[in-house]
Amino acid sequence: MIVKNLGYFGREARLSLSRNSLLSFATVSTVAICIFILGVAVLMTINATYFMDRLESDLEIVVYVDKEFSEDDTAQLEEDIKEIKGVGTVAFVSRDEAMERLQKKFKSKEYNLSKTVGKNPLPDSYEVKASDPQQVVAVAEKISKLPGVSKVNYGQGVVEKLFKVTHGVRIVSMALIVLLALGAVFLIATTIRLAIFARRKEIYLMKLIGAADWFVRWPFFMEGIVLGTLGALVAVLLLGFGYNSLLGNLDTANFFISLVNEQTLLLEIYGALVVSGAVLGVLGTTISVNRFLDV
Amino acid sequence: MLIQFYNVSKIYPNGVKALNDVSLKIDRGEFIFLMGPSGAGKSTLIKLMIRQEHPSQGQIFIASRSVGRMKRKEVPKLRRNIGIIFQDFKLLENKTVAENVAFAMKVVGASGKDMRQRVPEVIEMVGLKGREDSFPNQLSGGEQQRVGVARAIVNRPLVLIADEPTGNLDIDTSHEIMELLYDINRTGTTVVMATHARELVKEVRKRVVTLEDGRIVSDLAAGEPLL
Repeated sequence: MIVKNLGYFGREARLSLSRNSLLSFATVSTVAICIFILGVAVLMTINATYFMDRLESDLEIVVYVDKEFSEDDTAQLEEDIKEIKGVGTVAFVSRDEAMERLQKKFKSKEYNLSKTVGKNPLPDSYEVKASDPQQVVAVAEKISKLPGVSKVNYGQGVVEKLFKVTHGVRIVSMALIVLLALGAVFLIATTIRLAIFARRKEIYLMKLIGAADWFVRWPFFMEGIVLGTLGALVAVLLLGFGYNSLLGNLDTANFFISLVNEQTLLLEIYGALVVSGAVLGVLGTTISVNRFLDV
Repeated sequence: MLIQFYNVSKIYPNGVKALNDVSLKIDRGEFIFLMGPSGAGKSTLIKLMIRQEHPSQGQIFIASRSVGRMKRKEVPKLRRNIGIIFQDFKLLENKTVAENVAFAMKVVGASGKDMRQRVPEVIEMVGLKGREDSFPNQLSGGEQQRVGVARAIVNRPLVLIADEPTGNLDIDTSHEIMELLYDINRTGTTVVMATHARELVKEVRKRVVTLEDGRIVSDLAAGEPLL
């Protein structure tokens, strides 16, 4: 039945669109604005997540080895660290290497660190990364209890705060997106209700003649899909253009926060936004049209 | 029996008692007038028949099916067996005569082939041949109501319900529409017509049911003189 009538539904939808061009324009604009704001929120969330992931994965536990420890014992310590649950990678940094790194930090070649300090005062160390950044604190605590460990450094205090902040940001951004989506549905429902209100006599008549509910709904569905998709396309075009120019400008400025620039991910987001537009259109239509079907 | 009302009462949510213990039987092929002043319950009776309203009490059967107990999704099927003519015609202004008639077929899922055959047939039957491509605002009131009649019978309903079909028409045009309804009745379609135009009812020998304050006060068989 639906397939047989597709031509009719399409014709009705097109007719209604051209007849109520002002309302259609209003709906498209509403969807465009909603999707645009939604898109900005999504992009901001993605970037914040990306930034936070990077911050978290940069977290490192530096394990300083007791200076009294022999080389064999130090090798044993590495095995012990690796056995701890949650430990990802372990990299050995010898005291000589540590000295070289320190020397590099003093840019001018003329200055010789070893000459000034004399005997290398630095201990051997291990740079440990947790397989899950959230486990850093627990892993660090376990390592500090191993024999031969003089000190463990993982940014105590700062790490805990960082996790609190990133957790908060994630929850707030999810809530924001959900709220925006809900707001969009109701805005669209209101605009489409106006379009349907203009045709309530026709709906009433159809129902009295014996039209099934779905038969009345379909043209409005198609209208909703078309309006929703159009609005979303406008929003995504603006969004894509804006974001790309932002990417270009920030790259040259060598900003310390780098934006997400994975084209496949961005395309997926844009695609999802267009689909959301269509879905919002259908949802808004369903909410509105049902009120007029009760004849 | 095609239509049966058993002790039907209807009280609207605002407390208005529109029908009070009404029992009524209408046979296949009958032509019946529903008379009475406005507010007597004629419109409520019609709304109950097409399941636009639920009865508060009592039972209604149309073609042996209980209308009161009908599920929502069965309602379209009921209405496809009932053609309705309205006082204000209710034509779609942006559709031509032929499109208005075809619309009723389209709505119930008729095929294009059926529509191409049936629509001109019905338009000729109501005497509008040659006006197929006119829009409602290019027609006189009587012609518009003819479109309304064509649309009501295009799906070959068992019952034709006319709610004050001549209420907006002058007396000569009213008579023309009445002749059309008698013609349709002669082909076997049951016709229920609500009206308060006594002069239309008086001169024809048809059954007349009179309502007052939600009750049936008289039910005169065809040929009995009106009080």
